Amino acid sequence: MTKRIALAAMLAAALAILAAYASAFLPGGAPGWAPWLMALGIPTILVAVMVLGAARDGRVGRLALPFAFSFLVLAAGFCLAVGLPANEAAGSPLYLGLPLRAAIVIYGIGLFPIVVLPIAYALTFGEQTLNAADIERVRLAGEAWAREKAAAAGGPTSHRPSTTGTEPEAVLPGARA
Amino acid sequence: MQHVSHPSIIAVAALYFAVVVAISVWAARRTKTASDFFVAGHGIGLVALTVASVSTSVSGFAFIGGPGLIYSIGLGAMYIVLPASVTNVMGAWVLAKRMRLLGEARQLMTVPDAIGARYRSPLAQGLSGVAMLIGIIGYMATNALAMGVVIDAIFGVGMGWGIWIGMGVTLAYSVAGGILAGIYVDVFQGTLMAAASVLVFLAVLKVGGGLGGLSTEILAKDPGFLSPWGKITPLAALSFFFVFGLGSLGQPQGVHKYYMLKDPLQLRWYPLLKTLGLILVLLLYFGVGVGVKSLVARGALAPLAAPDAATPTFLLRFTPVLLAALVFSGVAAATMSAVNSFINIAAAVVTHDLPLAFGRTPKNELKWGRISTAVLAIAAALLAQVSGSMVAFLGIFGWGLFASTLVPALAIGLNWEGATKEGAIASISTGLCVTLVAETLAYMKVYSFPAGVTVSGLSLVLSVLVFFAVSWLTRARAVEQIDPDVRLVMSV
Repeated sequence: MTKRIALAAMLAAALAILAAYASAFLPGGAPGWAPWLMALGIPTILVAVMVLGAARDGRVGRLALPFAFSFLVLAAGFCLAVGLPANEAAGSPLYLGLPLRAAIVIYGIGLFPIVVLPIAYALTFGEQTLNAADIERVRLAGEAWAREKAAAAGGPTSHRPSTTGTEPEAVLPGARA
Repeated sequence: MQHVSHPSIIAVAALYFAVVVAISVWAARRTKTASDFFVAGHGIGLVALTVASVSTSVSGFAFIGGPGLIYSIGLGAMYIVLPASVTNVMGAWVLAKRMRLLGEARQLMTVPDAIGARYRSPLAQGLSGVAMLIGIIGYMATNALAMGVVIDAIFGVGMGWGIWIGMGVTLAYSVAGGILAGIYVDVFQGTLMAAASVLVFLAVLKVGGGLGGLSTEILAKDPGFLSPWGKITPLAALSFFFVFGLGSLGQPQGVHKYYMLKDPLQLRWYPLLKTLGLILVLLLYFGVGVGVKSLVARGALAPLAAPDAATPTFLLRFTPVLLAALVFSGVAAATMSAVNSFINIAAAVVTHDLPLAFGRTPKNELKWGRISTAVLAIAAALLAQVSGSMVAFLGIFGWGLFASTLVPALAIGLNWEGATKEGAIASISTGLCVTLVAETLAYMKVYSFPAGVTVSGLSLVLSVLVFFAVSWLTRARAVEQIDPDVRLVMSV
């Protein structure tokens, strides 16, 4: 279910982005609503593809919160940049050294997700992403596939064939294992 | 780029290249098999892989072209690098685990290998290989040209000889040590460049009176520079974010490295380390672009004759010569690093993926890998010599071509069982055709796209939609197209 929602969101976002591009071909250029489509479409497609990759057994578990946070930060950042008045001028107040809209983009979009996402990835890695048992299962599955392929090709082999159909690697005497 | 010849700079550059040669000799001794040559024997540790990956991500653009772009169009240029806040962890979730596990299960070596395995389709494998080859030719020629410019600027040997010297050094370590040499050269130069980037950024802040001081000067003369879009339209800026954000999932020079990690469980820390590394390296990109603009605004520097002069001008005027030498040498090394990665990938397409696509069994891959590496490097050097404008044209669509041909089939396809071979082939073909036709029309001035519409963005979104549409239309065949081990990789 989670993956279906993610795929649907990706499709909707892609259509929104295409509509934004298409609107630029109108007489007079892109209308005022075009950047809004991008401002919402881009966070949607990026977070949706992350959800698609992270979902396991149909769930993202504890990652729901960091994903929601990231979507909100990106969407809010872009929308504020689009929606706030363009009032950069001499004497504009500065926020951590930048005018307001620039600060929202550089610090909000450029730095906030860094604080959350990679740490969420590391903290949930074993339960949500990969563990030693997964690796072993995959390795065994690969060996089973290789045996089937070798048998189909006409006989057992004494080595592990490359599954892309290449000849076994030539290993010179004394080469590193 | 202006000439920066100075005895210290020449000495540092010569020492830099000597270290590169030493690393190459060491790597050559350890390269015994095709696996060693193309994927470093699947035996690289986390830190080495992370630093190498950061180095490959940035290339010389982050140090010369990027600051120059900021100088000319303002903060709109930041949308090229801002996606770094999410792309590394996005790549980890979407691709790193799947690619590394495919490597574990099937000893895969290339990105087209993964596509071929996912869809059980030699055609999809070959088509993705062709798409990569076209993009790589352009990238390599562009980087060869950049190498020539930088080496000429340092050593004053003329651009033509600069290209041959740079490509010669790159060719030598690429042929001898393959990607293993590339990885450890990247570790060396990436570490130095991260340190140099931080020091240059601190120098910018010192000269400019902090970020607030820089902004105050700019706002007084050119406030539009510091609008969130700079001098470009919101649509154009956001299009950059889209292409460099989602498109990062289709860049073979980054994705390919997932195969090389020795212990897949170390992926836990990969996105955090890579993101931190990228932030450090990109400080120069932002700092010099904004810093030079501020210095020009307050009259401390004359307006630049060319935007690409931003970094050399700042380094030569405001930093110690040793730091400047380090950065210039690093730029040359970064372009060599990019060429090494791309040559290696292209050689793998020629010697491995295309034969498989035609139903042939690749033989003597190590020998033919080395031969094709040499041929491709010489071809890139010749192309770079021939026509600067043609090279510029070839170079502009590389990222977009990779993104539109590989993101749907690889990144989405490895995470969605409903994706079909037909969808993959259709999306790769769409990306290839739209990018090549549209970029050619724009280059020949037959048609110019409206402001805000980038060919890369348009091509990427169209190929995603075609992928969904064709996969849905052929969905009845989706289940039968996935081998059990691949299905397991997609489900864990």
